[in-house]
Amino acid sequence: MVNFIKRDKNDIYAKPIIGFFFKNQNFLLSLKIAVSALFVYALYFGFAHTLKENTFTTAVFWGIFWSLFMVTTLPTFGRIFCGICPHGFMGKYITKYGLKKTMPKWMQNRYIGVMLLVFGWWGVYYMFPGLFRTPQGTAILFTVMTLIAFVIYFLYKDMSYCKYICPIGTFTRAYSKLSFTWLGTYKSACDECRTFECATACPYNLKPFTFDNRNSMTDCTLCMDCSSACEAVSFKFKKPSFSLFSKLQVLKVEVWAFILILASISVSMSFHHGIGRSNAADIMIWSKTAEFLKNYIDFGSIDAVGLFAFIYALIFTISAALIGMFIAAKILKKDFNTTFYDLGYSYAPLFILGSIAHSLETFFLKGYEHIAEGFAYGFGFTLDVAPLANRNDSWLHLFGLLKWVAIVWALIILYKRVKLLNVPKLRKIVAFPFAASLIIFFLSIDIYTGYIFKTYGKASSGNHGVGEKLFQSVPAEAATIVFKEPAAKDSIYFSDTNPSAEKKAYNGEHSHGGAGDRVAVKELWPVFEDAMGKKNCLSAISAELYLLDANLSTMQATASKSAGCKSVSFKMPDNGYYNLFYVDKKIQDNTLHVKTAKYEFMRFNHSNDAVYNKEKMAAHTIAEAPFDILRVREEDETFYHNLYSGENLRVQAVLNTKPIEGATITLSTKTGWSKSLKTDKEGVATFALIEDYFPKWNEFNKRYKNEFLLHASYVKEEKGSVNDVTYEKIKYDVTYPSYYHPNSARYRSYAYGLSAALFTIIVTGFAIYMHRARRKIPFKEVSFHEKD
Amino acid sequence: MKRIRDFINNADIRRFRFWLQLLFFVLFIYGGYFAVNLGNSIPVFSCGYDKAVGGMCYFLPLQHQLARPLDVLLSAASISVLIGFVTFLLWFIVFNKAWCGYACPLGTMQDWITGLRKKMGIRYSTYTQPQFDTLKKIKYIMLAIVILAPMGVGMGLLGGEWRTAFCEICPSRMITPLFVGDVSQWSLDFSTKTAMILTTLGLIFTGLFLIGSFFKKRFFCFFCPMSAMHYIFSDGALLKLKKDGDKCTKCGDCYNVCDMQIKDIADDVKSTNILRDDCIFCMKCVAACPEDDALHVDILNMKLFTSTKGGFAKRMEMDRLEKKDD
Repeated sequence: MVNFIKRDKNDIYAKPIIGFFFKNQNFLLSLKIAVSALFVYALYFGFAHTLKENTFTTAVFWGIFWSLFMVTTLPTFGRIFCGICPHGFMGKYITKYGLKKTMPKWMQNRYIGVMLLVFGWWGVYYMFPGLFRTPQGTAILFTVMTLIAFVIYFLYKDMSYCKYICPIGTFTRAYSKLSFTWLGTYKSACDECRTFECATACPYNLKPFTFDNRNSMTDCTLCMDCSSACEAVSFKFKKPSFSLFSKLQVLKVEVWAFILILASISVSMSFHHGIGRSNAADIMIWSKTAEFLKNYIDFGSIDAVGLFAFIYALIFTISAALIGMFIAAKILKKDFNTTFYDLGYSYAPLFILGSIAHSLETFFLKGYEHIAEGFAYGFGFTLDVAPLANRNDSWLHLFGLLKWVAIVWALIILYKRVKLLNVPKLRKIVAFPFAASLIIFFLSIDIYTGYIFKTYGKASSGNHGVGEKLFQSVPAEAATIVFKEPAAKDSIYFSDTNPSAEKKAYNGEHSHGGAGDRVAVKELWPVFEDAMGKKNCLSAISAELYLLDANLSTMQATASKSAGCKSVSFKMPDNGYYNLFYVDKKIQDNTLHVKTAKYEFMRFNHSNDAVYNKEKMAAHTIAEAPFDILRVREEDETFYHNLYSGENLRVQAVLNTKPIEGATITLSTKTGWSKSLKTDKEGVATFALIEDYFPKWNEFNKRYKNEFLLHASYVKEEKGSVNDVTYEKIKYDVTYPSYYHPNSARYRSYAYGLSAALFTIIVTGFAIYMHRARRKIPFKEVSFHEKD
Repeated sequence: MKRIRDFINNADIRRFRFWLQLLFFVLFIYGGYFAVNLGNSIPVFSCGYDKAVGGMCYFLPLQHQLARPLDVLLSAASISVLIGFVTFLLWFIVFNKAWCGYACPLGTMQDWITGLRKKMGIRYSTYTQPQFDTLKKIKYIMLAIVILAPMGVGMGLLGGEWRTAFCEICPSRMITPLFVGDVSQWSLDFSTKTAMILTTLGLIFTGLFLIGSFFKKRFFCFFCPMSAMHYIFSDGALLKLKKDGDKCTKCGDCYNVCDMQIKDIADDVKSTNILRDDCIFCMKCVAACPEDDALHVDILNMKLFTSTKGGFAKRMEMDRLEKKDD
């Protein structure tokens, strides 16, 4: 025993604040007493207040202990939960005055604890969800566990309950291998030790001085009793999961714990709660099996779907691990057991990190509220707190990153453990993907769940969403719109927003190739403005609709069928310009009104393979539209083309696909400015796009869309008749909406830019020159001296 | 076989490097004019703001990809991110950091500025060892900006101007487009405060780049996040810079020729893999080493280029010196 030791830098005991929490025995004792008191009080409360209002008991057990505290501490600080566990704390004193018998051989079996956790708790959980979620159920469960624990503590020595029977004993032991803390000893002091105070002080009869050499902390629960007995005990920060990077004594049950717990929590939850909440839930094998067996077996109150999700999760997970490892063992030419248990330690991060993500997410969404209000209830006052986050907060997705960390971490452990094997390198490389089968399986379930949700969508409520969806697709707005009829003088144009919803519809403009196989869709609403300048949509479209797609083929377009504002949607599979035409012909007052609305949209998916074909990208009209406006392309246009203020906009009016002179074209911006021009011989009118966006600096948006509408009209004296109704002249109208951004000269300055760079060059250059010049002085003196 | 090996080992690595650098420079900066497109996962600073780029620096697409909304990024849609990354790795793994010393256009420009300085007869600057140790960490901060800033955008914590925050402050954005006559990047963006600060920093760094690389060899490479990114994966690369410590006499020739001032190349006689995070794999150290096999460049554990007494003598033009003595 030593009373003083010089501690290493990474020794937590030597750290100022954190050291106090782990080393100060008075603090630890009071903490353990406080936790035990909380435990007993919560149990009592569960029996006393059996109603649903008692959120206290559930907050203690299901809010804090499991899963928040346990899963967040295990892969970080290690088994500190065991260190303060009320069972262990009280059990220590019970054992002290107990019978101290040796546990019978058949009970010294760690599988008892693991099986209790997997089947006794999770199996039951999936069969009877909500059974232990009630305060009373919780209280009964933990009272029974406590009584069993105390009896075993009383009968047997060395805290055997924790080692073999405790459902989470082996679980914590296994996962604590990932932690970045390590309880060990200072070898220099221990070499001379003959008294072994640390071992005597250990209620578990462990030998802390052997931990470093064994590369295992065995059953240590971090109760810190040894550290009070001898100063040579250290508690160090290490690399996370470092012990798995070198040889260690394999404990088979730990590997099985990793696999079974992954199956019973992560995988089952993905099946039952993840995919189970999609519209595809009913076609999954576990639902089908449950459905099939329901004809033969009466499940009563058992949730058959949950049960089979659990069973299938176990089967799939275990077989993924076994088959992969079997192949890996064959490739490595090693005995299966060695391969399986040696490499199986790499499964460790999979469940626990994913679980941390889930626990933290739950904590921010509702756990915090539950715990705070539960404690308030438990101690007799009321408190109303808001959750720390709501489901729409995008930063919550950050926790999703942990799942990827888990996968990478698992692969790293596997790599390090494969490296330890004494096998030719090539075999190792080939065997690696097979040994990683469970990791790949875990990853693919994640991707598959995402795929299912993407393809089938989320069930609107429970598992029976398919029927209800039909009713939801009718927009609620339809009932409230009062439709107006466009008068003959009103010009129709296409709007990319729904005037009744005034919410931007999705367009695939900025997909950045993310969803490669999703075809972008554009939805447009033909609208007209009333005297107040308000947009009005149409309740029915009588005009002809045409689409000129990126490959220059013309086809008919159709209007939406649902009630409400009529819209036209079209798919844009290729890069290029899509033109939508609305052609309406009406005779009124001896005049044939030919009204065309045109919308031109460039689809570009930012892919590298896109080729800007000038021929295809030029402005084209279609024969079906008698009168049309074309935006004349500039020489240097690319897929990134946009209009900017200050630039010239050249538009061409075409009548029956030929340029027409003397048509009137009016450009009117949303801000109220307008200008009319007559087209020249080529049918072209040139507008200068004016700058009329002058916000305050902090509201300035360089992507601001200054919307404008081009309106061309032309009257032709021509007599004729349609369906026996004669007309004297034809009045052509066409609209073309578009927008332009503020010119970069508005917010970019070359002068300042160049000055900043030049200033830096001059100042730095001068500084270096001065630095060098000043360093030369003493050197000159020496040389001067030499010449003398 | 032996003749080929001797030819390589006696080669004038400087001339070879000059021409290779020029080739890559034309390929990356003007590749677009020859319809060359090597994709956008290139592990060097061949800047995507250059309109005629022949293969884009991986950081520009990476930042755009990471700036996706987080739920999209962490879903199956991120396969395309993975594909980009794997392509980057495949490019990188073959040549290791030789990308820096032989292919990077920004590195080549610095070498040319150094050449100009040499012609003007101005001496170069070096860092002291403590300065070196502090400054070398900056590249990891830069790498953190490359990765975290766009993710902050995806999380909704940062404004859209942070999407390509690193590109905004990267000197390559100003300088590379100059070679195709595009000066549009040399301006300050006053549209928002963030954009203003980032573009100002960008132009200040451009100024520092020009003046720094004039006085210090490979000034920018010291702070380059791509170099940091390379180093993370350099263990898996096929091309390796190796040292046989037993044969090293610690003469310090390698350290003296090193543009990056890496001390380990001379001092460390224990590690076999001598590639350090600052290394640009220019192989000057191998060419300058007077000991047989003390330093060598391996590909798949086969010696590709190794230091030899003969090669050293030839490069130092020893025969001419001896004649002079006569």
